[in-house]
Amino acid sequence: MRKLTDVGVAIVAGCCALISVGLLVGLVAVIAARGAPALSWSFFTGQIRLVGAAGGIFWNLVGTLILLVTACAACTPLAVGIALLERVWLTGERRRSWLRTALYAMNGLPSVLFGLFGFILFVQWLGWGKSWLAGGLVLALSMLPTVTLALIERLRAIPARYVEAAAAAGLNRAQIVWAVLLPQARGGLITGTLLGLARAAGETAPIMFTATIFAGATFPTAIRDSPVLSLPYHIFILAQDSFDPAVGTRLWGAALVLLGLVFSLSLLALPGRLKQHEEAHG
Amino acid sequence: MTRALSWFLSLLALGALGLMLGIFTWQSGPVWQAEGIGYLTGGRWFFRQHQFGALPMIYGSVVVSLVALFLAAPIGLGAAVFTAEYLPPRARMPVKTLIELLAGIPSVVYGLLGILLLRDWVYERFARFDPLSGDTLLTAGVLLAVMILPTIVTLGDDALRAVPAAQRRAARALGLLRAESILHVVLPQARRGLGAALLLATGRALGETVAVFLVVGRQDNNLPSPWYSLRPLLESGQMLTTKLGGAETHIAWSDPVHWAAIVGLGLILLALTGALALFGAAFGRRSDA
Repeated sequence: MRKLTDVGVAIVAGCCALISVGLLVGLVAVIAARGAPALSWSFFTGQIRLVGAAGGIFWNLVGTLILLVTACAACTPLAVGIALLERVWLTGERRRSWLRTALYAMNGLPSVLFGLFGFILFVQWLGWGKSWLAGGLVLALSMLPTVTLALIERLRAIPARYVEAAAAAGLNRAQIVWAVLLPQARGGLITGTLLGLARAAGETAPIMFTATIFAGATFPTAIRDSPVLSLPYHIFILAQDSFDPAVGTRLWGAALVLLGLVFSLSLLALPGRLKQHEEAHG
Repeated sequence: MTRALSWFLSLLALGALGLMLGIFTWQSGPVWQAEGIGYLTGGRWFFRQHQFGALPMIYGSVVVSLVALFLAAPIGLGAAVFTAEYLPPRARMPVKTLIELLAGIPSVVYGLLGILLLRDWVYERFARFDPLSGDTLLTAGVLLAVMILPTIVTLGDDALRAVPAAQRRAARALGLLRAESILHVVLPQARRGLGAALLLATGRALGETVAVFLVVGRQDNNLPSPWYSLRPLLESGQMLTTKLGGAETHIAWSDPVHWAAIVGLGLILLALTGALALFGAAFGRRSDA
């Protein structure tokens, strides 16, 4: 009887794992199988024609990249500032844990709320209309907790003797930050940023009210009323509206490209994560 | 200088967060004045008649998240037990990496899969209950279950691995079989972390927007009667997030009370997800995955 339970639990757990992995791998396989026929050189270099039934996704890719670069540029300094505040400048465990709690809470907020916030603040109050900058800033806010928490983890893993040695050499705290902490934590910052970007790249809700339109935008030249196209919004609109088979193939193609972009960003972050994992578990 | 810069940047970020909370509270003011508590308990939302009751949206969000949790929790926790307790350490990292990679599939892609595959599947499967279409609360729940599955697996696995190996060795030394040591030693000790994993997954489900937007049907004013009826599961419904993501957000801007009603939905969502995230953080340690 005991033996039977033992085997039973193993089998049930194994089946659960198989279902989980199989389901998710299966979904990726479906997207790859349906999207692959659409991929061609002209799909990447052409612009949308006939409401997505012809042409390519060039400006959608460019728009998504503009949003990601903006988000990255806005998010990184903020993340470094907060992480340093938590690790270096705040005194007392209590205040630190308040700050971390705020980050955890922020991490749990749905991205659509950041989108609504951006719509009120940038689009309406500042009068930008739909703008790449508004979208980038909103994405930066939504990925901020991910990046900051990863950076804090990394700063925490720096051996205390490095800091002690620097202090013994007569460096003050600001000098220790620049000479020891930031160089040592650079890997963590890059890993965290890549993870944040991987999530931001696929987000639709934060940018649909603030930054992107479906067709008719190219490279933005100003801030006001300068929307961009983007991959997620492209898929979002076509998925709702279209039952044209020609659109279908291109739609799956766009989904496959977006998936490829997100997976590449996550995979770029992988070596850093594995290294961190090894250090943590010896 | 460095110190001042850190403070400045941090206050900028926290200021943005505070501004967001402030704007949501302040901008939703008019609807609380107009509807009072009826805003939360009212079941009718007709913006042309200036009737704003958020209950159908709250119901939709909660019931869809519960369906998702009900489906995903057993499988996810089972898979977490497998990766943490049965997989050899060498195989564990690749499997975990794969699952975390899959957690990154964008929600709009899930929405696309939902529209083109799941919708028809639900429609055919439940044909004898005669649903009007495949766009139902149940469809959204099943789709969300798949979406939160990786979160449950990876956070659950972390929680189980946080139980010291010495506990397992001690249990085995006392003659417990592997399954017994898992059921009677590891799981009870990891229950806080597992609870946190489920809370955070629920928060993610509540906040999910575009994937469910595409399959939930976005039918206003769908409430069950009697309240325990499961019938609305097979009807189109509306969730807090899908209402926020819809075209009504654009229409509402020009009318203060209507706009307040929309922002109020955001405030309700913020309170629900914020509370879950805080509980989750207090419950278990890691919550960044």
